[in-house]
Amino acid sequence: MRYRVLWALVLSAVSGIAAAHHSFAMFDSDHQIRLTGKVEEFTWQNPHIYIHLQAKNAKGKLADWVIECANPGILNRAGWKFNMIKKGDQLTVVVAPLRTGEPGALLKQVKLADGRIFGNGGPAGPPNISIEDGKPLAAGAKP
Amino acid sequence: MKAGVALPLGLALLTLGACTPKTDQAAASAAAKPAAAAFDAKDFSGTWERYPQSTENSGQDPTVVPRPEPIPPPPLKPEFKTAWEAEQKKIDAANKAGEPIATGYTHCIPDGMPAMMMAMFPMEVLQTQRQTTIIQEAYNQVRRIYLNDTLPAVEDAEPGFWGHSTGKWEGNDFVVETIGIKDNVRFRNAPHSAAMRIHERMRVIDANHFEDDVTVEDPDYLTGPWKWKWVYQRRPNYKMYEYVCEDNREYADPVTGKARMRMDKKK
Repeated sequence: MRYRVLWALVLSAVSGIAAAHHSFAMFDSDHQIRLTGKVEEFTWQNPHIYIHLQAKNAKGKLADWVIECANPGILNRAGWKFNMIKKGDQLTVVVAPLRTGEPGALLKQVKLADGRIFGNGGPAGPPNISIEDGKPLAAGAKP
Repeated sequence: MKAGVALPLGLALLTLGACTPKTDQAAASAAAKPAAAAFDAKDFSGTWERYPQSTENSGQDPTVVPRPEPIPPPPLKPEFKTAWEAEQKKIDAANKAGEPIATGYTHCIPDGMPAMMMAMFPMEVLQTQRQTTIIQEAYNQVRRIYLNDTLPAVEDAEPGFWGHSTGKWEGNDFVVETIGIKDNVRFRNAPHSAAMRIHERMRVIDANHFEDDVTVEDPDYLTGPWKWKWVYQRRPNYKMYEYVCEDNREYADPVTGKARMRMDKKK
């Protein structure tokens, strides 16, 4: 419940996002996955912020994931801060993986070590699985 | 709650106005239907965002002023229309296949005109006696509209992303004409010639909104004027973020032209 309240706060703060820069079609938003791992690198820059996350894949093998986020403008407006993620942090994310099978993905939602949950701005779209347990969210439910 | 955070200033003022004690009947009637907040019809200055926002939960009330009609396709001459439609189909098919074609954005190329005015991100308008300056947060784009200036002849206009613009007042309408857009600066992938002219008629419609009626003319490529409207809502007290397209890990595959993603760490 606490996270739902936080998510509502995040959503309410998201504004000023008129359009995506580009198509997100390279990412498979229909088959989102949940990853937990350690931050190897966090780059706060345009046109995209990236999180390098060392996390296990579906087969339990460690991989270096490159996770694309929106840009500093969008995420500042969504309540993010440039220093809220640091190298070595433990994160849980819900992402839409690349269709190519490479360990790259588009962020849908991130849960920080302190429990705070953030979305990735409007154009990136919402998660369709729970960041708590990876189970599908009911259609139309607030994540 | 969703609307609460970014409650438009006008609505906030109206709410405050409705709380003011009234004594006579006219005032009581006014309280029942509060008057619109006063505004300066020639004041475009401030920070704005496109209205209505395309995403849910934007904090905007999309019913405050009428939303503009969708932008029609460019009225290209038949000899250009076929190729344009084929290109659109190719883009759609690539998206459906999950292999989007790289665009100028992939290469960190800014919109230019008129695409800049779609206001992908918030924009700031600065008005001085000599010029009106519009800054778009995405790609730090800047266009300068010089007041009552004389545009160069089309053949003498050095091509650029934002071209050459002059503006004048016609009543409360700010009328802007722009020429000199580079050939490779496209809006909706529509080709154009050096003879393209972008006419804009901007007007403040209430305390929190202004509209931009855009008309593109190009005797070489278009059968007639290409018209649409953009509307913007004030974003009071917003401070624009810088935007340097520093390092895009998305890139164009040199063979297929499709967008790909680099897996390495920061360059």
